[in-house]
Amino acid sequence: MTLKNFLFFLPIFISLLFISCDGGIEPATEPLGAAGFSGKVTFNGSWPIGVKRTHLVVFKNEIKTADDFFIPNLSFVSDSIPYNSKEYFYKSIESPYSAIFKLVPGSYSYLVVAQSYTPLITFERKDWFVVGVYCEGGDQNRIKKLLLEPGKITEGVDIIVNFRNPPPQPPGAN
Amino acid sequence: MKKIFFILIIFSSANLFAQGGQIKGKVISDKAQPIIGANVIVLGTNFGAAANETGFFEIYNLPYGKYTLQISSIGYEKKTVSVTISEKPASLTIVLRETVIETEQIIVSAGKYEQKIQDLTVSTVVIQPDVITRKNYQTFDEMLRHVPGVQMTLEQPSIRGSSGYSRGAGARVLVAINGIPIYSGDTGDIVWEMIPIADIERVEVIKGPASSLYGSTAIGGVINIITKSVVKNPITNFRTYIGGYDNPAYKLWNWSKSFREFYGVELTHSNSYENLGYTISLKKFDNNGYRKNDYFKRYITYAKLNYSFSQNNYLTFFFNFLNQNRGNFLYWSDLRENALIDTSSLGNIVKSNRFLSGLIYHHHFNSSFSAELKTSLYRTKFEGYGKEYTASTATLIRGEAFTNYKFSNSFLLTSGVEASYAKVKSNIFKNPFFSNAGAYAQTELKITPELIATIGLRYDFIKLDTIPGKGAFTPRAGLNFKLTKDFILRSSIGTGFRAPTPAEVFTSAAVGGGISVKENPNLTSEKSISFEAGANYFYSQNLFFDLAFYQTDYDNFIEPNLTKEGDIQFINLSRARIQGVELITDWSIIPAELQLSAGYNYMWSRDIEHNKAMKYRPRNILYAQVRYSPAPFDFGIDFRYWSKVEEIDFALTQPPLVLIPDGDKRVQVYVADVMVGYNFLVTSLPAKIYLNIKNIFNYNYIEFIGNIAPIRNASFSLELFF
Repeated sequence: MTLKNFLFFLPIFISLLFISCDGGIEPATEPLGAAGFSGKVTFNGSWPIGVKRTHLVVFKNEIKTADDFFIPNLSFVSDSIPYNSKEYFYKSIESPYSAIFKLVPGSYSYLVVAQSYTPLITFERKDWFVVGVYCEGGDQNRIKKLLLEPGKITEGVDIIVNFRNPPPQPPGAN
Repeated sequence: MKKIFFILIIFSSANLFAQGGQIKGKVISDKAQPIIGANVIVLGTNFGAAANETGFFEIYNLPYGKYTLQISSIGYEKKTVSVTISEKPASLTIVLRETVIETEQIIVSAGKYEQKIQDLTVSTVVIQPDVITRKNYQTFDEMLRHVPGVQMTLEQPSIRGSSGYSRGAGARVLVAINGIPIYSGDTGDIVWEMIPIADIERVEVIKGPASSLYGSTAIGGVINIITKSVVKNPITNFRTYIGGYDNPAYKLWNWSKSFREFYGVELTHSNSYENLGYTISLKKFDNNGYRKNDYFKRYITYAKLNYSFSQNNYLTFFFNFLNQNRGNFLYWSDLRENALIDTSSLGNIVKSNRFLSGLIYHHHFNSSFSAELKTSLYRTKFEGYGKEYTASTATLIRGEAFTNYKFSNSFLLTSGVEASYAKVKSNIFKNPFFSNAGAYAQTELKITPELIATIGLRYDFIKLDTIPGKGAFTPRAGLNFKLTKDFILRSSIGTGFRAPTPAEVFTSAAVGGGISVKENPNLTSEKSISFEAGANYFYSQNLFFDLAFYQTDYDNFIEPNLTKEGDIQFINLSRARIQGVELITDWSIIPAELQLSAGYNYMWSRDIEHNKAMKYRPRNILYAQVRYSPAPFDFGIDFRYWSKVEEIDFALTQPPLVLIPDGDKRVQVYVADVMVGYNFLVTSLPAKIYLNIKNIFNYNYIEFIGNIAPIRNASFSLELFF
């Protein structure tokens, strides 16, 4: 091996160096955190006795197994809905948990109103039961996806809760 | 007639002497230290000399003419110098440079006894420390970013993919100073700032599990730092540097109107009085950081005493104290205007004090039997101030005794016992204790002059607070076969184990950025079995290749994981496998002037249970360095490439959690550094200056999610010797 050989390899080395001229990671172009939704929850019938918590919650993916009921799949939690409410108007950006659960543009598979008899929030599937679901044309078997667009608040995301006719429960309930 | 004959003889003799020229000079290292015993040979003649204890040499009676001198010494690059001999004596100052990556040097750590690198059965690299000052690395870990087979993810080292990233909680590479481990008692992490850069003789990097000699933390390999021997002449080294960061590549990221500078000053003095040698070092270095709240201020004091009872029996004591205040940047807030700002941790600071002391007694009973006793005390304390107050104090006491017994020239036995105890007092790791006792033995058998076999076995018993104690046997075996003098084959199979650290088991705290860590008392030790086959080949004196294939299988591999509750918890993965191939070459294109070093590593790492890549392990890593040093100048270019990391902590970066917005943004890594230096030693002025520009193309990349790596920065350094 001689200097001549080195001179052969030098252009390869210099080429590698100049690849570095590509800037690498660039600033994100999409504004973040501006997506959201709003709407109304209507309650029909009598509230179950002893319910301690009622929340509107959004899951990124469907609840196919009890294991899908976990925080990394949870995208939004509303403030606790007062007991015996008949109507509840909400805006996602006003949720006290918006700093923890950040909504970003995209599709969300499961938006429900869930109730619990526990005074504190738990993440055990067995502690919760679904009383209303975001669905197509009032048919609770046809779950509707929530679509959030960049920089927009999707309005009219309404849910009707009929305590006399609860929706099918996702897996993992007692 | 007799008178005439006598006069003729006298005259001719005088004439002969008159035509004999003289060369005299001094051979010194690039730290102005005399190189005792350096060989000076006049090529093509029988003339030559060896440098004395002040580095001085003289050669007499050389016939007038032009000659080439060759100067060499072990551990230094060979140098040739042209010289013209005439009536006037030639006077030279020859500066030899320490070899950057040694291939033939004696090392000690692999088998806890002195062993030539070409006799080893595992891949090992020896690095000379001058690279730290030349490249102006502020901490030791920066240097490791250029060692083939080693990957740094922020401050966490990984040898051949042994570690992902766990923010300092638990290491799989054992870092030791003269064989004394320096992992902290609580988190088990390595505090790189504790390493006394000014007193490093050489660094040995052993790739692959070394648990059979070093125990739990060495499951991925060992980085052993050997400090300098006692000096015979007093030497004072003053080093200072100042530098700053450029503006970020995008205006949107430009958060600071002021210049982001860093600077440091270090004074080291070594001397000896009869049998007592000492080194003291004081250092201060500050860095304002290229990211908001990512500054640090450090003070370090280091001292070493060495007392020689006789030539081979000595006692060494050293201590190192670090005081540090730093910001606590965790992740970017987003990749728009906050790429270099972590708004959630603004104002959070960490104050820490760390004290390490070690005592080594070496006794040479006779040429066949020697023993060494090592004890150390490592006390670490940190306090984190912010939204939550975190604090931890850990005291780690360690003792080891081992012997080397040479039964014959072909059979050597190394055996020892070791024990350690750590006590932690913390509001995030609870207050656990951790104890470990181990015993080991390893033999080296020279079956033939060409074939060396090693067999070793270690047993460890580890107890972590209330968790039931566990024992582990870690056997290993290796072969080294010299096919020819220039072509050496090696192979090894070894087991490793690693006990979880108190931090991995007991951490229960918010770590910032909305992330909490949850304890896992069920965490169990991980085990590994590793195989390596390699070869090194000296194509010529100036061209060297090393090729290695490796595979490591892990059981119960410990990795951080996101729980159902959205917390981070360390868990045991059931199985993981890492396979790879590594090729290294060193090529002295013009000896002592133009050098090319390169290393390529292909690594395939799989979490077998989930059939996906392991986190933070790039498949391809390439390091290349070119150094051109026509005295007194010194030029260097370093290049690093990583392919894009496949697997990261996606759960932290993607909806619905999005704890680190845009955290999945990652690219392949191309980083180029440039160095220019001037060595005044050639002109007898004991000084060196260097200009370094790191990340010269201002390439934006990450080593860990949400953390833009250092942007372009330039520094000027000055080194003086008295």
